[in-house]
Amino acid sequence: MIRIAAVGDVHVDQDVVGRFRPALEELPDCADVLLLAGDLTRHGTESEARCVAQEFGDLGVPVITVLGNHDHQCDQVPQVVKVLQDAGITVLEGDGIVLECPGGRLGVAGAKGFGGGFAGRCASDFGEPEMKAFVRTTNESAETLGKALRGLDCDLLVALTHYSPVPDTLAGEPLEIYPFLGSYQLGQAIDSAPTALALHGHAHHGTERGTTPGGVRVRNVAHPVIKQAYSIFHLGDQLD
Amino acid sequence: MTERQNGGAEPADEYVEAEIHRMLAEDPAVAEQGITVVRRERGLVLYGEVESPHRREEILRRVAERFPDVPITSDIGVIRTQAPTQVEELP
Repeated sequence: MIRIAAVGDVHVDQDVVGRFRPALEELPDCADVLLLAGDLTRHGTESEARCVAQEFGDLGVPVITVLGNHDHQCDQVPQVVKVLQDAGITVLEGDGIVLECPGGRLGVAGAKGFGGGFAGRCASDFGEPEMKAFVRTTNESAETLGKALRGLDCDLLVALTHYSPVPDTLAGEPLEIYPFLGSYQLGQAIDSAPTALALHGHAHHGTERGTTPGGVRVRNVAHPVIKQAYSIFHLGDQLD
Repeated sequence: MTERQNGGAEPADEYVEAEIHRMLAEDPAVAEQGITVVRRERGLVLYGEVESPHRREEILRRVAERFPDVPITSDIGVIRTQAPTQVEELP
C-alpha cells in the first residue's frame, strides 16, 4: 500500500506561516509523500515562496508540487521554483518523478494545466489570436502531462494538476466559470495512461470526488474544499 | 464572524457587485478568487473562506474603503488546518 497526503491552494504568506506546521509534523507517521496541487502562494513572489519553503520544507517525507495560477501572478516563476527546489520540494511542470516507497514505486506526473472547459462546452482553437493562444496553452499543457504520465515506469501512477480534469469536482462552482477552472484535455491526458488517481485544486467551491470518462478517480484537494491541513489516500493494496 | 458595515445606505447594483468581485481578485492586498459576492435586498454579502483572520479583516477594510456607501455584510470563515482524522481507502 502507498500512502499519499495531498492539499492544494494553501496561499501561504507571512500571515499563514506556522498554521499548517503542527499537522504537517505528523506526516512521517501517516504518509509516504505529500503532494501539493498548486497555488502555494498569494501572488507568486519570491518572498512568499520562502514562506512556503519554511512551512512545507524539511517535513521528513518527500514533497512534490505543481504551481497554480496565483504562483504566476508576479511573473517570478523561476525565482519561486528555485526557492522551492532549494528547500527540497520537487516542482513538476510537464514532467514526472518515481519515488521508492515501502509499498512500491510511486510515479507522479504533474502540470499546472489550464482552463478551456469541458466536452461540448469548451473553447476552440479558432478566431482571434488571443483565443487561439488560450486554447493552445490548454492543449500544450495536457499534451505534456499525458506524455509525462505515459513515460513513468512505476507500480502506481498519480496525476497532479492545479486545474481540474473533470467537471465532477467543480460541482458547487457557478457553471459559467467552469471554462476557467479546468479542461477536458487534462482528463484525456490522464486517461491516456494507467493512472490510478488524479489530484487537483483551484476550485475553492467545488467538491471532493469525481472520475474521468475513463474511470480514473479524481480528487479536488483544494484547502477550502477539504477543510483540513491535507487529505490522506491509501492506494495499491494489491502491491502488498 | 459576521460583521455589518455602513447599514442604512442604498443597495448596490449589478455593476458594483461586479466591480467588488473583480477587486477581490485584482487588488494585491486581497488577491482572493474564492469569495462570493451576493446581492441581497439590504446590501451585499461576502461569503467564502480565507487562510487567516488578517485576510478576512483586510477584505472588509478594502471593500469599505473603496465603496463607502455600499452596505456590506461579511460571512467569511478561516479555513481549519487540523490533521485529518480519517483516511480515504482507494482499492
